[in-house]
Amino acid sequence: METKQAPEKFVVAIGPQHPALKEPGHFEFTIDGEVVTNATARLGFVHRGMEKGTEDRNYVQDLYLMERVCGICSHVHALAFALGTEKLAGVVAPPRAQAIRELVGELERIHSHLLWLGVAAHEGGFDTLFMYTWRDRETVMELLEMLSGNRVNYSVNVIGGVKIDVSKDQIEALKYGMDFLEERTKHYMKVVTEDETFLGRTRNIGLMTKEQAELLGAVGPTARASGVERDVRVDAPYAGYDMFPTKVICEPAGDLEARFVVRINELFESYRLVRKIVDHLPAGDLTVKVPRRIPEGETISRVEAPRGELFYYLRSNGTDKPDRVKVRTPSLCNWASVLTLAVGHKLADMPMILAGIDPCFSCNDRMVSIKRGNDSQIWSWEDLRKYGIEYYK
Amino acid sequence: MNLTINPIIALLVFPGGLSLLAFGLLYEYVDRKLVARFQNRVGPRWFQPLADFVKLLAKEEIIPAGVQPGLFIVLPVVALAAALTAALYVPMFGLQPAYGFSGDLVVTIYLLSLMTLCIGLAGANTVDRFSLVGATRALTQLFSYEAPFMLAMLGPAIAVGSWQISEINTAVQTGWWNMLVQPFGFVVALVGLMGKLELPPFDAPEAETEIVAGALTEYSGRGFGLFRIGRDIELVIGLTLIASFYMGGLASPIDFLWKTLVLLLVTAALQSLFARLRIDQTVGMWWRTGTIVVLIQLLVIIIGRWFAPYVQTLIGG
Repeated sequence: METKQAPEKFVVAIGPQHPALKEPGHFEFTIDGEVVTNATARLGFVHRGMEKGTEDRNYVQDLYLMERVCGICSHVHALAFALGTEKLAGVVAPPRAQAIRELVGELERIHSHLLWLGVAAHEGGFDTLFMYTWRDRETVMELLEMLSGNRVNYSVNVIGGVKIDVSKDQIEALKYGMDFLEERTKHYMKVVTEDETFLGRTRNIGLMTKEQAELLGAVGPTARASGVERDVRVDAPYAGYDMFPTKVICEPAGDLEARFVVRINELFESYRLVRKIVDHLPAGDLTVKVPRRIPEGETISRVEAPRGELFYYLRSNGTDKPDRVKVRTPSLCNWASVLTLAVGHKLADMPMILAGIDPCFSCNDRMVSIKRGNDSQIWSWEDLRKYGIEYYK
Repeated sequence: MNLTINPIIALLVFPGGLSLLAFGLLYEYVDRKLVARFQNRVGPRWFQPLADFVKLLAKEEIIPAGVQPGLFIVLPVVALAAALTAALYVPMFGLQPAYGFSGDLVVTIYLLSLMTLCIGLAGANTVDRFSLVGATRALTQLFSYEAPFMLAMLGPAIAVGSWQISEINTAVQTGWWNMLVQPFGFVVALVGLMGKLELPPFDAPEAETEIVAGALTEYSGRGFGLFRIGRDIELVIGLTLIASFYMGGLASPIDFLWKTLVLLLVTAALQSLFARLRIDQTVGMWWRTGTIVVLIQLLVIIIGRWFAPYVQTLIGG
């Protein structure tokens, strides 16, 4: 990071502005010819102070704020926050609301995985697949817009339930959309597992064994592609996942191809789930009443975001504002695997290995206290404020 | 087809100079549009390449710190000049080449590689990391496709027994197309042209997701515009050469148009079919497959020519 490389080393710096990275992050690859010998990452270019921001707003306002942590998995953030708050308040959302939460969660997974498929193909220089997947992704985006009125921040959750209902017409449209996407996804599966040039870029590239995945703390599809059977939806069902269970999609290979296969198989599983949910949607209310002031206490809530396990810690002090909200996003857990796997690969493989974990940069950036030698320090709100004023003066 | 044109006009307007620039832009448009349609996109409007070119010419040319300024300015001009000069020996637009001498095939192929060499030097001239990696890759790629491409071009030349492009062009107009007689040579020549022009999947030297724009990362304005149009012209010349050698020669402008456009359609399809090859995969492919296949074919042609008289006397006698 700050340590300067010895002058004879050739460092290729990628980011924070680079055509391969649509979001800001900084990577330094030390290369010898084409082979990467060292990799470091520096994050923190889009720190927005959201965790701190939650402490100044009440729970209802926080729900909107947390939905904007990530543009792609906006629903799961709001869901994790809503589930945590409901747990603190001692209420449970009605079954129909839980099912709709799961429905939107799976639609979001479909849109996220299709988006990733395109991005990863683009990083490998396969623009045709990129264009086709993004065209088909429009189908699920339109379904989400039909359900919620929004394409990105669906804003489906309220604390104690959901604010949208699913009508008969919408169920038909959803089924029709799933049939179309399933056909297309079968085709993509064929491309990803049979196209020779594409396999040349993915097979045995970025190989991570099960032991490495456990050791480096990988989560989500990245870990599952290395044979780690871990999925919050199965291990600790939340929302509707006890009514409509899913199964863990795993691949033992651990290379980039396995990460493609895992995500595409998860798409098939999501299509199945969406069909099942709309067919057996429980009747009943959409919301329950939640007190304005949340009783004192602390809790965690875990959900499975498209990228892996998303973890929320909430502490309440008995007022209408949370005392502390801590978010741990899946992208952050997967960085260690990228930086470890990068060494020994070709520079040309870097974009695909980077994209292989489906990184989300806005999820990464949070305040960290950097330990430099012994002068570690924890800043209070006042200190931070003063520092901010001084910094921008 | 043979036209007598004043040499000055031949050089500056037709068939060299301006008309070449116009055709370069036209073929770039067709290429971009076809690839876009294959990828299910709308694609550019017909004047987009021209608009890009005019815009680039009008923009400020930034000379970055750490470069040799003279070289930085001269390299794009040399690259464009080489491409324009190469056109003089090639039956552009189905007309007889403006100039020609015995052995001009070698000169033309040399002039065509000058573009890649200039791009490599341009990258090596700057201190930017992306440019340096791009330049290394461009030159590595040059050494991998150049030999098979040259050999693929020699196939028809040896079969005809002349190293002059105009003579080959006339000779191949009778009999079967070389595409059918020498299919390997045709494939290698066409794919070699894609490697030469750094089209996908051989775009590792300018892979935008890794090294931004490769060797040309530091170029802006006029220099970048000249490199681009130079590459467009090389596309037209390359297609003309392959069409004339392997598709039964170019006897008229109509021949030129349909044969090169069919070739362009094929290259556009190839561009959208594959994922980008890593530079080591590119080199491996050319030396392990391309070169050997063409060498075998060349041997067959030489042996065939050697034995042809005996066979004829045997049959005739």
